[in-house]
Amino acid sequence: MAKEKVDVVIVGSGAAGSNIAARLAAGGKAVKILEAGPDRTNDHLVSSGLWARRLKWSGAPVLEEGANPVGHVFNAGQGTGGSAMHHYAVWPRFHPQDFRCRSEHDRGLDWPISYEDLAPFYDLVQTESGIAGDAEREVWRPPGEPYPLPPVPLFPQGQILERGFDARGMKTAPLPLAVTSVAYQGRDPCIWDGWCDSGCPIGALANPVTVDLPKAFAAGAVLETDATVTRILTDAVGERATGVEVVNSAGERREVLADIVVLAAFSIQNPRLLLASATAQHPRGLANSSGRVGQYIMTHSAGLIYGLFKEPTQSFMGAFGGQLVNQDGYEKTTHSDSGAFGSYQWMIAQAVKPNDLLGIGPTRADLFGNDLHSFMKRAARGFATMTAVVEDLPVADNKVVLSDDQRDANGVPLARVTHTTDPQSKSLWDATLVEGQAIFKAAGADEVWTGPQGAMHIMGGTIMGADPATSVTNSYGQCHDLPNLVIAGPGLFPTSAGVNPTYTVHALAARSADHLLDNWGSAVV
Amino acid sequence: MLQNRRRFIRDSSLGVLTFYLAGCEVEMTAEQAHRAGVTRQVFNEAEAEALGALAEVLLPGSIDLGLVEYVDQQLGAPLDQQMLMIKYLGVNPPFAPFYQGGLAALDQAATAAHGDRFAQLDSAQQTALVAAVAQGQVENWSGPPAPFFYFVLRNDAVDVTYGTKAGIEGLGIPYMAHIEPPSPWGQ
Repeated sequence: MAKEKVDVVIVGSGAAGSNIAARLAAGGKAVKILEAGPDRTNDHLVSSGLWARRLKWSGAPVLEEGANPVGHVFNAGQGTGGSAMHHYAVWPRFHPQDFRCRSEHDRGLDWPISYEDLAPFYDLVQTESGIAGDAEREVWRPPGEPYPLPPVPLFPQGQILERGFDARGMKTAPLPLAVTSVAYQGRDPCIWDGWCDSGCPIGALANPVTVDLPKAFAAGAVLETDATVTRILTDAVGERATGVEVVNSAGERREVLADIVVLAAFSIQNPRLLLASATAQHPRGLANSSGRVGQYIMTHSAGLIYGLFKEPTQSFMGAFGGQLVNQDGYEKTTHSDSGAFGSYQWMIAQAVKPNDLLGIGPTRADLFGNDLHSFMKRAARGFATMTAVVEDLPVADNKVVLSDDQRDANGVPLARVTHTTDPQSKSLWDATLVEGQAIFKAAGADEVWTGPQGAMHIMGGTIMGADPATSVTNSYGQCHDLPNLVIAGPGLFPTSAGVNPTYTVHALAARSADHLLDNWGSAVV
Repeated sequence: MLQNRRRFIRDSSLGVLTFYLAGCEVEMTAEQAHRAGVTRQVFNEAEAEALGALAEVLLPGSIDLGLVEYVDQQLGAPLDQQMLMIKYLGVNPPFAPFYQGGLAALDQAATAAHGDRFAQLDSAQQTALVAAVAQGQVENWSGPPAPFFYFVLRNDAVDVTYGTKAGIEGLGIPYMAHIEPPSPWGQ
């Protein structure tokens, strides 16, 4: 079998893999990124919600089970840039309390690090990627440097919904977005056309193709697409990862050997690969002496609020993530009277299009025929929406396992993913729907309705922790069992928090890369 | 250079979908394909007829915009080129059995209730049956879960009608594309 040798092989070219690639390549390491999907640049993107679906996962099917499936294809991506190519760039920071959930509330898990450990990397990443926001108005924001870019402008939909928050004595601030509100580091400013979901061809949105991959390539990193990793290789005694086996669409297999192997293939495929790479020394799967590989899969429940207003909302303007944020409900006990637990935030006034899952049409699934045509015409003028990002408590039984009887074309067992929302998290989602409808009514909506419990983001599955007996990796993503096997991405999160994950994915990746460069000798051995 | 490349993409691989007409591969929009009477790749005559009739109940006008041809073409395309919303609604590929099973169940339900296939029913009968499908109230329904089948087909009709540049602008919404799509299902 053909072989090549590099310093670092990275599985996956999404947010985590690209960020680590850029840093390790800049540190002088020979980096190879393997991407299962097609090669894609910003030149390949098209402003259409239909064409955007080609950015979604189209690899080996994931078998979804449980009462609240994670929505893998919707949340995952494939091709250069991974899921981050269709992400909405809502980049708030996790709060200090998110890292101490078990200690403070006897629920969930603790992280092996504190907010203070991550804060310098949040500051660093926001400068590199460019976040637009208003740190002073964001009164809930943990300590950190102010945003490098001025905030997103407010359009009519945002102004109208802000009325509702004002009327109820709730605060709002510009939504922190990794989008160029003004020209930044050679990137053009956003024109607020609401096509973020389709990828951003002008590079206003900080996806890997725009920010980290160009840096990685400039420093010598090499990206190979159509390269599906089927197995992680280890040495004879099972103490080190030695590389990966990779196959292309023509069925040609070879090995890429490396001193460090980074798994950055998102929260489902990372544990699938670990479990499918079992050896005599690691009979339950690589890095799985704790039995935790695959466990604690989490997804944010989406609290979807919709309304129709008399005045024009121009809901097609802005960013897909929204215009404003509210985190008044971030204290985890805010709705404890109803049995709810956890944090949440409101993303307010998302840009919407008429079709697609998050568009106007599906929100009134009960309507068809001319009633639907009529609704679409009214909604095109006066539609508004906001979304609660609702924390999902980590549950061990929400997990990835290998299918007993189904394999992909390369012979690797498919991932089977079970997810049922913890009742306390479900109660929190219920509470957000009540609050959200009251806000819309306070804003003067003629009609208000809600959507189903959507699944946003996928986290967990390879959690970090201080104790090797109860976690998969240390705080740098190094597997407890094989320290030169490094995991990156939201799969590391022990808790999901009540905000979007991608900023924290970047901060963790930056911290891991710095640690690896500073401790290369001990990491490699 | 960028614009030339854009134009190339728009006019070629991303420009239109590939259909079959008189044994030849032809690139055109779904609406053009509907008018031209292209050769279907997946649906048989009965399935196409049922799908077209259902589409007209779900969103009048969508049959002329090429809904049947769009779904048929998409079901025959490689997975990474597919754009049907079912792709991310928790159904694993291939998707053709989902559509064919649902359409067969629709015809069976129509026959059981009215003695004729769905496409042959009058407008009031069709509307009542679709409402029952949407609410999961069809006895002995043999296809995929009825309300979900309704949801998927309804969204396909919304895609074809309101997901295009023409459809969006028809609602008075400026399209504002950075990069315009290849006028699918519209012009």
